[in-house]
Amino acid sequence: MAPEVLLSPLHRADGSATYTQNGYSIIGAVNGPIEVLRKDELPSEATLEVHVRPAVGVGSPKERHLETLLTSTLRSIILTHHLPRTLIQLTLQVRSIPAEDAICGVSAYLTLLPHLINTSLLSLLSSSIPLRTTVTAALVVSPTSSPTMPLVMPTAQEILRAGRIKHAHVFAFDGERKMVVCESEGSFTFEEWEEAWEVAEDVCCRDGGVGLGEAMQVDGQSENLEGWLREVVRRKVEGEQRWKSGT
Amino acid sequence: MASTTQVLLPGDTIPTSALPTPNNPKKPLTLGPGLRHIPPSTIVASIAGSLSTDNKKNAAWVEYNSGRYTPSANDLVIATILTSTADTFNCTLTPHTPTTSLPHLSFENATRKTRPQLPPHSLVYARIVSAPRDSPVELTCVDPSTGKSEGLGPLKGGMLFPVSLGMARRLLAGKKGGVMVLEGLAEKMGFEVAVGRNGVVWVDGGSVKNTLGIGRALQEVDREGLGERGQRKVVERVLRGL
Repeated sequence: MAPEVLLSPLHRADGSATYTQNGYSIIGAVNGPIEVLRKDELPSEATLEVHVRPAVGVGSPKERHLETLLTSTLRSIILTHHLPRTLIQLTLQVRSIPAEDAICGVSAYLTLLPHLINTSLLSLLSSSIPLRTTVTAALVVSPTSSPTMPLVMPTAQEILRAGRIKHAHVFAFDGERKMVVCESEGSFTFEEWEEAWEVAEDVCCRDGGVGLGEAMQVDGQSENLEGWLREVVRRKVEGEQRWKSGT
Repeated sequence: MASTTQVLLPGDTIPTSALPTPNNPKKPLTLGPGLRHIPPSTIVASIAGSLSTDNKKNAAWVEYNSGRYTPSANDLVIATILTSTADTFNCTLTPHTPTTSLPHLSFENATRKTRPQLPPHSLVYARIVSAPRDSPVELTCVDPSTGKSEGLGPLKGGMLFPVSLGMARRLLAGKKGGVMVLEGLAEKMGFEVAVGRNGVVWVDGGSVKNTLGIGRALQEVDREGLGERGQRKVVERVLRGL
């Protein structure tokens, strides 16, 4: 269930990550802080540029919409005030999406968004750009057949098999369990939305009130994305410091 | 190194127990890269890596080895000259970043009459004087107190080899860095090396073959994360190939 990740596969970019989950495969690359064009320069903070490239063909309004969502989300995550008058460039290339994605009944931008958010965070971690916190995202889908049991991070096939979709949401949470992104579609009541939110929170965030020391132990077998992120970073640190124990 | 490395994610608060315990309680706590202080007394990580502490200096920082080089004062760097203006050279440390300035007069024995002539693309080993956030970075090639170059200055001949930022730090850290490949090679051959914190190593081994051998050996040690025994093997192989 946890996404497969490879950090820093591209050696010419400052930070990069490949991410594969449920048939969605994305490469992210970050360059920065680099020199910014005069017209884009902000006097007291860094400019963030996000490019989303689709698996097939050239970008369309869908990609532009995703870029806007990502830019505003990541601006609140990156400590842009630490890098004034610089540019942080993030490119997300979608490598493949499952064949069922187009016909599963949920907007293609909703099914792709959580993967893009997770990939961009991994690329930013790999580029060592100062961040305020982390962010993890998940998709929650409620089919009409079983409205009480929302599907969390389903594969496109699972959505297709569930039949008609009543409503779908993408939630992203930062390291302090604060919601930073909420994109919804379909018709739903406030209670249904709240239920979806709670389900997504369980998947994204580690159990509340866990101190730093205790969080170390949950890595490896943990189910939530926060624990998975810690495991990824632990592997990165291990790789960087293997010379200390190497022969 | 502690038995368990503390892995940090951006946004993690550093517990007081993990902060260094200074031998001299009056010494203020120093925060290195990757940590920020949120008043009144919260220390938060901003970069993913492992926490390192030094009790003697009462310092804490995040150890990481990825990303782009960010200049900071007193770093030794290898700069590439781009252009020369009336009284400064414009140099780059990393690609696509704003240029840094190196005054013509900050070379050893440089006067208004005898200023160094450096064409574009020549290399200079320099020290960063200041790296303020809001103005260009300034470099120098002399020690301001003595007026001597102390090993800094134009680099002639040789080749540049890109290495990771962590490798550059290790090479400059001496024994603590655990790199012995250069000492091993120096037993049998003579060469000159300059290490820039911006992730480049300049090597001049006299001939192209020697230079490449040394540079490639350094890059291999960096890429494979070799310990002492692995480095000895690399040294043997390089020496055999000459």
